[in-house]
Amino acid sequence: MSLEIQNLHVSTDDREILHGVDLSVAKGETHALMGPNGSGKSTLANTIMGNPAYQITEGRILLNGEDVTEAEPDERARAGLFLAFQYPATIPGVSVANFLRTAVNAGRDEPIKVKDFGALLRENMELLKMDPAFNKRYLNEGFSGGEKKRAEILQLAMLRPQIAVLDETDSGLDIDALRVVSDGVNALRGPDLGTLIITHYTRILRYVRPDFVHIMLDGRVVREGGAELADQLEEQGYDFIREEVSAADAS
Amino acid sequence: MPPSFLEQSRRSALEVYEREPLPTWRRSGFWTTTVRNLRLDELEPRHHDPVASVEELPEVAREALADDELAGLVVQRGASTVHTTLDPALAEQGVVFCSLERAIEEHPELVARWYMKRLSADEGKFSAAAAAFWTGGAFLHVPAEVRVERPFQVVYVIDEPGTAQYAHTLAVVGQFAECSLREYCLAPDLEGQALHAGAFELYCQTGAQVKLAHVQDWGSGEVYDISTKRVEIGRDAHCSWVPIHLGGHLTKQQLDIVTAEQGSDMRHTGLYFTEGQEHLDLFTTDLHEQGDTTGDTVWKGALTGDSRASYEGLIHIVEGAQNTHTYLQTHSMLLSPKAKADAIPSLIVQTDNVSASHGGTVGEVDEELVFYMMTRGISRPDAVRVLVEGYFEPVVQRLDDPSLEALVRARIAAKLSAAEQQVAAYAAER
Ligand SMILES: Nc1ncnc2c1ncn2[C@@H]1O[C@H](COP(=O)(O)OP(=O)(O)OP(=O)(O)O)[C@@H](O)[C@H]1O
Ligand SMILES: [Mg+2]
Repeated sequence: MSLEIQNLHVSTDDREILHGVDLSVAKGETHALMGPNGSGKSTLANTIMGNPAYQITEGRILLNGEDVTEAEPDERARAGLFLAFQYPATIPGVSVANFLRTAVNAGRDEPIKVKDFGALLRENMELLKMDPAFNKRYLNEGFSGGEKKRAEILQLAMLRPQIAVLDETDSGLDIDALRVVSDGVNALRGPDLGTLIITHYTRILRYVRPDFVHIMLDGRVVREGGAELADQLEEQGYDFIREEVSAADAS
Repeated sequence: MPPSFLEQSRRSALEVYEREPLPTWRRSGFWTTTVRNLRLDELEPRHHDPVASVEELPEVAREALADDELAGLVVQRGASTVHTTLDPALAEQGVVFCSLERAIEEHPELVARWYMKRLSADEGKFSAAAAAFWTGGAFLHVPAEVRVERPFQVVYVIDEPGTAQYAHTLAVVGQFAECSLREYCLAPDLEGQALHAGAFELYCQTGAQVKLAHVQDWGSGEVYDISTKRVEIGRDAHCSWVPIHLGGHLTKQQLDIVTAEQGSDMRHTGLYFTEGQEHLDLFTTDLHEQGDTTGDTVWKGALTGDSRASYEGLIHIVEGAQNTHTYLQTHSMLLSPKAKADAIPSLIVQTDNVSASHGGTVGEVDEELVFYMMTRGISRPDAVRVLVEGYFEPVVQRLDDPSLEALVRARIAAKLSAAEQQVAAYAAER
């Protein structure tokens, strides 16, 4: 399983936001995508999932070598893609348990048995140290920022995708919550899961060590490297990269 | 010989009926409700023989009743009361639950004290028709301080085209008594016209606690429902009223709650789902006649097909009703490009020192939420279905009656799946 993004150009309202992005994530790998506010990280994540608000004007997205550039979001999800949203939606009147059961069943031919679902939900809520009372609440309604992020990771755990994009799952989490969520992600990591962790802090990367780091600036991936690139970024900030990029552009 | 109060009331109602023309209701929105396609002279009351058990009732009634444990049951088919039960233990405590006809024979003074206290025959042709021509009917009296857990159930069934059904339910809940009452109006998918002209009145006396539910599902036939329902809440009494409209060719209803004395408190939570060519026109009033009263009104609807629905909700706080707190909200969700809805909250406040707020919206399925759900592998039609069910869920839960909740959820799900392709296509094309 692999996700390949090739020369992706993405626009909204006639403005181009991504100007040709190449990036590949294979099963078993952990990637970090870093970049300052407004550089286009969430745009990339949403485009990977097929958000109709973003138009692809050039390039393509391949999943296992198959072109999914035009596929509907639910087809991508059932093919093994997952996005933990930076700003998850609130679904009024739909409980966490009801939502998750609908989502789990969407990926199956036969609906899951009530008992099996209950056990699976309990197990994953324990993994994320979530209060069982959560599952009766309407999804994200009145959830704190941190609770929403945890609910996203709960969905990741329940749906078991092959490639997961985590868009700033770390922001809005206090240090304990960050630990719990990172432990959860680590528990799910393995040869069957590829992850793309979007963040602009290196905080989470101390708990979840990436194999590859990509840096995005103004809609382009401008630097790539290993975990040490994240450390360098932490010490020097984005400015050193900006300077390097403009020096390269000038010459 | 009917008692003179009834005879007199019927006589003056008949005068109004003969004097009044067929009405047209002009709404403050962009449309009118007319009954010009109703062939009233071709309709007539249909009489039926009583049956000994629920199993012998028409199928629509049997299905809706499931196997609920009830405190009592009154079923009217067409013009006739065909089945009545009441838990003998409750009868022993003085509870009366039977047809209104029988109650007038057996308890004329009790009925006379309340009959049409808050209703008038002079509110138009169909109110007059109901007052002049009703047969059968239902009467509930729960004496002071009696508490009844299980629901009292009234069912009006129309199962033959050509039927004119004139209905009247009167319920009186005594001081500090507690009970719940359900009234269902049901028809199978008839081929042809029918009319239900109904009157409903409930009086909650001092300190009473009442749960009231109305479920209307007249099927896909050409059933006209023109009814008035009124609830009066006495001192420190509470009533939670949940009217549910699931089907009817043309419905014109006036639903009023009066918080009549200090400390009276109401919750009014309505739901409608219209489809096909249905036309629904609702007017509700939240009338505060005294101070220190509270109210909370929420209406939610969804529309498919070419249906139209208008909800107009008035909060009226009279002079001197200070320290009243009430609010009203109404939402309608359009699930088809051809459906039309309006939501019109309004406010008359004739005193100071009150808090009253109101709001109304008409919207569509939120595409961002559909996208979110689809990223979890949920197909577009399923996402829309779950979102609409979720939209109604807080209202359904206010029924606080598990078997009725299950009935309403199942009917909404069935209506959504019938409209599934159309609803999903509409959402996708926007
Ligand atoms: N739906 C949209 N419509 C219009 N402009 C958009 C839309 N989504 C994103 N943009 C713009 O595209 C640019 C990139 O936004 P994006 O959300 O992808 O950045 P980001 O890297 O995720 O930032 P952050 O770190 O703040 O989350 C911004 O200038 C943003 O205003
Ligand atoms: Mg972002």
